[in-house]
Amino acid sequence: MSKQIRNLGVFLALCYAALFLQVNRLTVFEAQALQDKPENTRQITRDFSGPRGDIVSADGVVLAESVPTDDQYLLQRRYPTGDLFGHVTGYFAFQLGTTGVERSYNGYLNGEDIGFSLDRLGDLFVDRDVVGDVILSLREDVQQAAREQLGDQEGSVVAIDPRNGEVLALWSFPSYDPNLLATHDFAAAEAESTRLSDPAIGQPILARSYRDNFFPGSTFKVVTSTAGIQIGGVTADEPVYPSVTEYDPPSGSPIPNFGGSSCGGNLFQILQRSCNSSFAEMGVEDVGGEGLVETAEGFGFNRDIPFDLPRSAQSTIPTEVDGTPLSQNPGVVGQMSIGQNDVRATPLQMALVAAAVANEGNIVGPHVMREVRDDQGNVVEEYDPEVIARPMSASTAGTLREAMMSVVADGSATRLDDGLDGFDVGGKTGTAQLGTDPPKSHAWIIGFAGPPGEVPHVAVAVIVEGQNGASEQTGGQVAAPIAAAVMQRALAPPDRAEQDGDSGAGG
Amino acid sequence: MTVAGRRTTELGLLVLGTMFVVGAYALASVPEDSDIPATVGPFLALAIGLPLVAHVAVRRLAPQADGMLLPLASLLNGLGYVFIVRLDEARTRPQGLAGLQSLWMVVGVGAFVATLLFLRDIRTLERYRYTAGFVGLVLLLLPLLPVIGQTINGSRIWVSLGPVNFQPGEFAKLALAIFFAGYLVEKRELLAINRGLGPFSLPDPKHLGPILVAWGVALVVMIAEKDLGSSLLFFTLFLVLIWVATERASYLVVGITLFLGGGYLAFSSFNHVQERFDGWLNPWESDKGGQVIQAAFAFADGGIFGTGLNLGMPVGRIPVVESDMIFAAIGEELGLVGATAVLIAFLLMIGAGLRIAQQTSNGFERLFATGLTTLLGFQAFIIMAGVVRLLPLTGVTLPFISYGGSSLLANWVLLALLLRVSNDASERDAERAAAGQLTEVG
Repeated sequence: MSKQIRNLGVFLALCYAALFLQVNRLTVFEAQALQDKPENTRQITRDFSGPRGDIVSADGVVLAESVPTDDQYLLQRRYPTGDLFGHVTGYFAFQLGTTGVERSYNGYLNGEDIGFSLDRLGDLFVDRDVVGDVILSLREDVQQAAREQLGDQEGSVVAIDPRNGEVLALWSFPSYDPNLLATHDFAAAEAESTRLSDPAIGQPILARSYRDNFFPGSTFKVVTSTAGIQIGGVTADEPVYPSVTEYDPPSGSPIPNFGGSSCGGNLFQILQRSCNSSFAEMGVEDVGGEGLVETAEGFGFNRDIPFDLPRSAQSTIPTEVDGTPLSQNPGVVGQMSIGQNDVRATPLQMALVAAAVANEGNIVGPHVMREVRDDQGNVVEEYDPEVIARPMSASTAGTLREAMMSVVADGSATRLDDGLDGFDVGGKTGTAQLGTDPPKSHAWIIGFAGPPGEVPHVAVAVIVEGQNGASEQTGGQVAAPIAAAVMQRALAPPDRAEQDGDSGAGG
Repeated sequence: MTVAGRRTTELGLLVLGTMFVVGAYALASVPEDSDIPATVGPFLALAIGLPLVAHVAVRRLAPQADGMLLPLASLLNGLGYVFIVRLDEARTRPQGLAGLQSLWMVVGVGAFVATLLFLRDIRTLERYRYTAGFVGLVLLLLPLLPVIGQTINGSRIWVSLGPVNFQPGEFAKLALAIFFAGYLVEKRELLAINRGLGPFSLPDPKHLGPILVAWGVALVVMIAEKDLGSSLLFFTLFLVLIWVATERASYLVVGITLFLGGGYLAFSSFNHVQERFDGWLNPWESDKGGQVIQAAFAFADGGIFGTGLNLGMPVGRIPVVESDMIFAAIGEELGLVGATAVLIAFLLMIGAGLRIAQQTSNGFERLFATGLTTLLGFQAFIIMAGVVRLLPLTGVTLPFISYGGSSLLANWVLLALLLRVSNDASERDAERAAAGQLTEVG
């Protein structure tokens, strides 16, 4: 029997060796292939059930958090502020994916990008959730002001700090409640997702503040003015544009002023009155199509502006007309100079235009993230602001700043400084005609405000879409009060205790 | 090592094993805010008390037995327990499996001690071989009876008597091992006689009669009960014992041929057999491939070192993860390293068992020890191979590790029987050495 028993032992050893090899195969050689299999939901679940950091506003309001649940996914992503920050936080959903801050900063929120710090060697033995909380620059009180002011009019409000590019408010109506998309009832989430994409209810899922573009109308005249000063030799005093009811370009249709009124004057005056004829003339004769495009592109048009929310839209300005150069199409150039024709801008872009004027000609890259902290409150990452564009020189900016302040003092934007006594306030209204019948237009305003003598602490862009009529007053009447209230809130210190660190605008 | 040293070694290994189990338990169940859970008292009593009781029993009742088997079994049992705690409590509706398993562990060690206590000479069993065979068959047939028999998960291997559910098949294995070993030892001379036909010589069939009947009935019963894993195990036991007893490789050849033939027959006639094979060879498309696919994903996540206890996601993904598929959870959370450790543990137990078989000079004891080792070693192999898709998946438990009272109980008794053989063989060797004689029976 001995021999047989020994052979049995050998046979069993071989069997177990085969087992060992097979386990090797599964854990090492085929592991990656197995993990990549589409049926393998472990990675998705891992992402989905793993601990996740909070998203917090600059003034300490929790915008997104993970709470334990009883189901197999263990954690539910919850958005306490609902639709107020829907477009900013985005959502984190199992089958619908991720958007917004949840997506841009996914690596911090789930801890993957947070370095392993060796001074906490004890972490090796303790089961700590190393995830990061993303602290935004947006303030809940300013965002709230934006929502209240805009009400249920379709439109957007963007407020940024020109000094460092921090976004203080990013609101568009209609918005959506991410809780309804992050729910574990996947059928309901799918249905809601479909519903939110419906244009009939205004497509709430789309954050129009930075993902959609519109005719900027007269707010674009700030860009035209910049081109005029830098390329066209325009100064605060000269030239003095003739007082006419319309501008007749060498070819193409004339560009009339609103309601057939006549206007003209120097830079400040035409900006205050938002004089179409003068700016059309400036664009066609003093700047030229190429110059206008070049200046606009200096502001960010036709380019992707680095922004830390995904899929932002480009603002565009045509560089040619049906294959022919702009120089052969002065009529189009004239219209472009007043922000019509095919010029399209996102509200974010227009806020950056105001910010450039405010910040001595520099555009600092906009961002919603301010810093990332670990679960013990230590800062692990800070947004490093940098100048991404310099569309104008400091002296041009100085001139335009004065000009825009005069628009508020004496021009079409007098309501922009409501409640802002003691601050320097500058702005430019806009009424972008949509060419519909009956006439409708977008009411715009861009502006800035801050303590006298300093770089303004806040720049805004407000658009209220689809207003009835096309009066030049529309921007000043509809959009300006909204912007004023938002800037006022932004300049005031936040109500709540902030996270340790620098304060936002004002304070 | 000297015989006296065995108990010391055993104690040392038990202590090491217990430390490992306690450490693993701490990792698995102490929550992040590091409150010591209320269950720690009972757990420590279990984790330290049971091996201690078993060790003392061995010291008293089988002091010269092999010193590796108990620590290995205790380690595997403890590891299994830790995993059952971790797995069951991660469920949204825990089923209290850990508590039940700990109960069975106590009963198991109790049976271990009782077996050592009441069975002082293995050769007693030899006398009752026919009884054992009969009892074994009855136990196998029990689940087929109405009223008390239960079909669970497609196989009819359970019996419920009042509040207790058990699997008589686990005990039938032991009884039939006694019978096979006893019968073969008696008849092996007759069975070893060649009857022409060159290398494929065959014995006189009439001597094979009772054993073939017993085996055939066992197999038919198992196919009727749809317990394919046990079928395979029994067949292997039978084949191994007859081969070892007669020392004729021809039996192996015939046996394997029979197996392949029978397997093919089963495959073409029985749906559930086809499904198993389908699930094995082509799990991605088969309906029945789910378990092994999930197990494969689990191992892939585990990698070399595992995800770490409590950090994997076996619950809710791997079916029957506390029992048949527990090896997948081990692979996921302890990685290649942990899975290999389990493989090595079983291999060492097999080695010890076969060593015991070699050591003893008594024919019955040899065969019996071989049979017991075969049962343990092959059962573990069959289920682990099924989990990693080396073989089709079958519904047998992983000895000592899986959740399951009957299996645990039967395996502790098996362990006691092996230690009894070991002890008796060692005692005899010691006496003979003392008396100046040491012979070996080949």
